[in-house]
Amino acid sequence: MAALPRRIIKETQRLMQEPVPGISAVPDDSNARYFHVIVTGPEDSPFEGGLFKLELFLPEDYPMSAPKVRFITKIYHPNIDRLGRICLDILKDKWSPALQIRTVLLSIQALLSAPNPDDPLANDVAELWKVNESEAIRNAKEWTRRYAMDN
Amino acid sequence: MFRFIASFFTKLIQMMLQVLSSKKHIIHNLLSIYVKTSGGQTVCLDIDPKCDVSHIKKLVAPQINLQPDELKIIFAGKELADDYVIEECDLGQQSILHVVKIKSPKLNEVFRCSTPKANLSPLTESLDYSTFSSEDENTEKPLERKAHFYVYCPNCKGLKQGKLRVRCHFCKSGAFTVHSDPQDWSHVLQPKQITGTCENDPEYCQELLQNCEPTFAEFYFKCSEHVSLGECDQAVPLDLIRPNLRHIPCLACLDVPETMFTFPCQKDHIACLDCFRSYCLSKLLERQFWQHPEHGYTLACPNGCLNSFIREIHHFRLLDDDNYDRYQRFATEEFVLRSGGLLCPQPGCGMGILAEPDCTRITCQQCKYVFCRNCLQGFHIGPCDPVEPSLDAQGNCDVDLNCPVVEDPSRTTIKVITKPCPSCKTPTERDGGCMHMICTRSGCQFHWCWVCQTEWTRECMADHWFA
Ligand SMILES: [Zn+2]
Ligand SMILES: [Zn+2]
Ligand SMILES: [Zn+2]
Ligand SMILES: [Zn+2]
Ligand SMILES: [Zn+2]
Ligand SMILES: [Zn+2]
Ligand SMILES: [Zn+2]
Ligand SMILES: [Zn+2]
Repeated sequence: MAALPRRIIKETQRLMQEPVPGISAVPDDSNARYFHVIVTGPEDSPFEGGLFKLELFLPEDYPMSAPKVRFITKIYHPNIDRLGRICLDILKDKWSPALQIRTVLLSIQALLSAPNPDDPLANDVAELWKVNESEAIRNAKEWTRRYAMDN
Repeated sequence: MFRFIASFFTKLIQMMLQVLSSKKHIIHNLLSIYVKTSGGQTVCLDIDPKCDVSHIKKLVAPQINLQPDELKIIFAGKELADDYVIEECDLGQQSILHVVKIKSPKLNEVFRCSTPKANLSPLTESLDYSTFSSEDENTEKPLERKAHFYVYCPNCKGLKQGKLRVRCHFCKSGAFTVHSDPQDWSHVLQPKQITGTCENDPEYCQELLQNCEPTFAEFYFKCSEHVSLGECDQAVPLDLIRPNLRHIPCLACLDVPETMFTFPCQKDHIACLDCFRSYCLSKLLERQFWQHPEHGYTLACPNGCLNSFIREIHHFRLLDDDNYDRYQRFATEEFVLRSGGLLCPQPGCGMGILAEPDCTRITCQQCKYVFCRNCLQGFHIGPCDPVEPSLDAQGNCDVDLNCPVVEDPSRTTIKVITKPCPSCKTPTERDGGCMHMICTRSGCQFHWCWVCQTEWTRECMADHWFA
């Protein structure tokens, strides 16, 4: 494997030294491009109290192309699908090398605080979120309790 | 046949002798140059680089029946002063100097007086990045770092250092002196920016001279890494590749490269050449290059800055040969698609085809595949088959995430199925289990459904989002 670019080393160091509040991102022992991420459910959101595991991978041409991120913990959210894939513009066409792992994680945290059912990735969830928000929030809390709390 | 082989060997031996003799030149420090007269005569000289210009005048004068003090020696847009030492210009082997007879001593004197002594040195020397960059030079001592121009050399087939040269805009003669130094790239790349005096004979320029009207300089570049092959041996200036005199870090890897690619956005967005290559490659593979009406198939600053398209597409020569071929193919295909054509869906073919709008039976001229225009499957009579949702690729994103080595051979066995984008008909592969397709072609970005092969709708989400 080619040497790790300085950019990745620097970003990793900064993530360890000044972690983003509510987020931990730790590189894998055997692969410095693969990060184990834990996001704390934001306060006053249906995800409050949950710990959500994600995986983040920096492709060979990072930062020319976006990191690949996925939720491992099941989550009831209109912008996150069954496979944990996230509908976030900066992970797709709005990606720019000026963005960082840190910005990506902050955006994901913000997405938990403010679900956007108008730009959905999870069909039924988005539909319910629009038609019956209180029931959707109840489901989200239930999933958080069931999948994101006991470990 | 034997004669051919024999002549080939003679040539080879000659070439080897040339190599040897040029080595000899290095040992003896001799420089082979040509001196060209305005009458078209060429004198070949072997000179000691430590000699000065007056010595050259003495050598040349008797051969063209003139006195040394009747001569002017011109190189790269500047008259060389008598005491100028040849070593100090960047003359390569077999460079061409121009010699002209001083026509009107009076006119000549005017120029001599108005031209400061420092300017009587060749352009390439007076014009480096310290003149081209508006930065404070005091802190940087730019003279200590050798400034370079970079070119794509069609002869060496690669990125090389280049030398700036100048000739008459009208008659293309190198017997030409500039009235002022170019200050930035626009002076060099755009025509008719810098005036000068043509010392050549053709009537047109002569007439301009007599009316005391100036003619214009035309700048061009030569590769500095191969022996000049004559006056038509030119290289393409890669003006966005520059020495990184201000130590700006690469926007991608944060290293501070010596040579940088400058994105044309005036925001100090630069990349090292490796990251630039990687940027081009990832955009190319996603067909994210943009077909610009003036500049061609090109890219903008990766940070999305406005009006930052790369104008000189020869910069993409930095890609390796295979990927440059791919770049050219994609550019042609993009042109075909924009002209209402379509691409052959056969794997490995992808030939661009222009067909009558109402013709649905398409035959590829290259691979002879006959296919249906609408579904890109083999040609059939009657309506296109509705394609059943395939289950082959479910959960592929897990593979993506966990195996950074994409070349894993087991992955190639996954059946690759492509379908045409319903809007532009570009064959598209599906990755992952999601049926929501977004055409990656930069000109299209149509949202469509893999199952219905029409625009992506809420019904698609409800019925068959995942495989
Ligand atoms: Zn060359
Ligand atoms: Zn001329
Ligand atoms: Zn770089
Ligand atoms: Zn920019
Ligand atoms: Zn074909
Ligand atoms: Zn068909
Ligand atoms: Zn398309
Ligand atoms: Zn559909």
